[in-house]
Amino acid sequence: MSKDLRTYLAELDRHWPDAILRIGREVDPREFHVSAVLQHLEDRGDQRVVLFEKSLDLEGRTTNFSLAYNLFVTRELCARAIGLASSDAKMPLSLEFSRREARRVEPEIVPLSRAPVKEVVRTGGEIDLSRVPMFRYHEQDIGLYLTMVAVMKDSEENFYDVSFCKNMLVSPKRLTVSLQRKLHKHLLNIVEKNEEHDRETPIAMVIGHHPAFYLGAGALTTFGNDDYGTIGSFLDQAVRLTPSESLGKDFLVPADAEMIVEGITPPHSAEIENPFGEFSRYYQPQVAVPYMDVTAITFRKDAIVQGIFPGHPGHFNLGGIPKEGSLYREIKRVFPGVQAVHMPHSGVGRYCCYVSIKKRREEDGKLVGTVPHVFTNQLQFVVVVDDDVDVFNEQEVIWAAVTRARFDKDINFLKGMPRSDRVIIDATVPLNEPFPKKAVVPREALEACVLEEWIAPAKSAGKKAVGAAPSARKARHAGS
Amino acid sequence: MPVREDIFWVACPKCGEKFYCDVQLRHGSIKLMCPKCHHRFLDSESPQIIE
Repeated sequence: MSKDLRTYLAELDRHWPDAILRIGREVDPREFHVSAVLQHLEDRGDQRVVLFEKSLDLEGRTTNFSLAYNLFVTRELCARAIGLASSDAKMPLSLEFSRREARRVEPEIVPLSRAPVKEVVRTGGEIDLSRVPMFRYHEQDIGLYLTMVAVMKDSEENFYDVSFCKNMLVSPKRLTVSLQRKLHKHLLNIVEKNEEHDRETPIAMVIGHHPAFYLGAGALTTFGNDDYGTIGSFLDQAVRLTPSESLGKDFLVPADAEMIVEGITPPHSAEIENPFGEFSRYYQPQVAVPYMDVTAITFRKDAIVQGIFPGHPGHFNLGGIPKEGSLYREIKRVFPGVQAVHMPHSGVGRYCCYVSIKKRREEDGKLVGTVPHVFTNQLQFVVVVDDDVDVFNEQEVIWAAVTRARFDKDINFLKGMPRSDRVIIDATVPLNEPFPKKAVVPREALEACVLEEWIAPAKSAGKKAVGAAPSARKARHAGS
Repeated sequence: MPVREDIFWVACPKCGEKFYCDVQLRHGSIKLMCPKCHHRFLDSESPQIIE
């Protein structure tokens, strides 16, 4: 069976029936209904996938569309999306991500008649983006946005690039394509190559697919990689592709998507967008970006319009998890003693990195701390800890930093970097001088202690963390 | 600081809403758009610019 968003939601229902929160009340895109609900759930620590079953369109008309959010809100969900157990959601997930990046599963081409995304086709005068639910999430967001991925094809070298790219509604037939000229992004490379020859750029937005499709789109591949093959690796099956409706038969789009918005980006096009609350949790400044004139919208009759809540945990996971595996691999090349790498939510999955090592030489912490800065230009702050510290537990990392780092010697700066110096904190225990020993409960005592035999059963199960192992849940109840 | 963008603040000449823009839009020919009232204006028309 071909994997798509529906097969994934059905799988969640089958194996983890509590993982999806279904909301039957009607959502109005003209209000902040979606982000208000998602913020409340986040504040309560409720980490379920959210399906808004009814949505109005931008004119307040009833639609057949539903909305899916929070597909990436926990590492456990991201692990499940690529077929791993919830218990593998820490470093095993990052390492599997790295393995999948290096693998390819070639796509399969299917005729239009076998493409669910072609159930409804709107072209020419039928195109009306006001019938598609789009949303503002934060108070000063300038407009209504789609927040998923774009597909572009490099016509000279014949590969597809699939990358996250938001779109702001400009008019019923026009969207922005959020590619900032001063940042180097793969999609922008294709646009600029076409502009050099005064050519327009075909583009297709993929609004709703299996979460592994989007995790594959977020993989750290080099420009020139045919991303459909990488996405197949993450899906663990060929992506089914079908000819586009309006961009030519040789421009292929995902057949199992919920909705595809096709369009043309004219050379040197420019439209204003932002403020928009982005992954940094700040508003992006207003800027001029290219736009696309929409040439077709195809969708399933009851399409599930998928979105990301920008600047919130799902967004952080999409930024951080792909980097962890890659950084681990790069550090391992020069320092075999690396144990784990984590890009925490406190650094929005981009700005901060924790690395644990088996330290052999006094300089290891400082040297290892330089490596992540080389490979991720957004990174600002690296903390290196010993392997007795769980880098996925921020409290432990900060504890190590405040008890093990000598602030006059162990905080180092990479000077002269763009915007700001970069920081490395060596929070490892010094090898060649006396240092206190970490206090721990005896391992034998822990193993001999069956907690259930010591405590009364909890009166209320409370909210279950999605994907938490039974033993972990019990431990949390016991500690609360 | 990664979020310390090269920006300038403007005020909308119509409703007074303050927001910030990338410096690439300073002294440019593209009209800015107020996120509150969607009024389009050149930065030179703003009653207040902080840069």
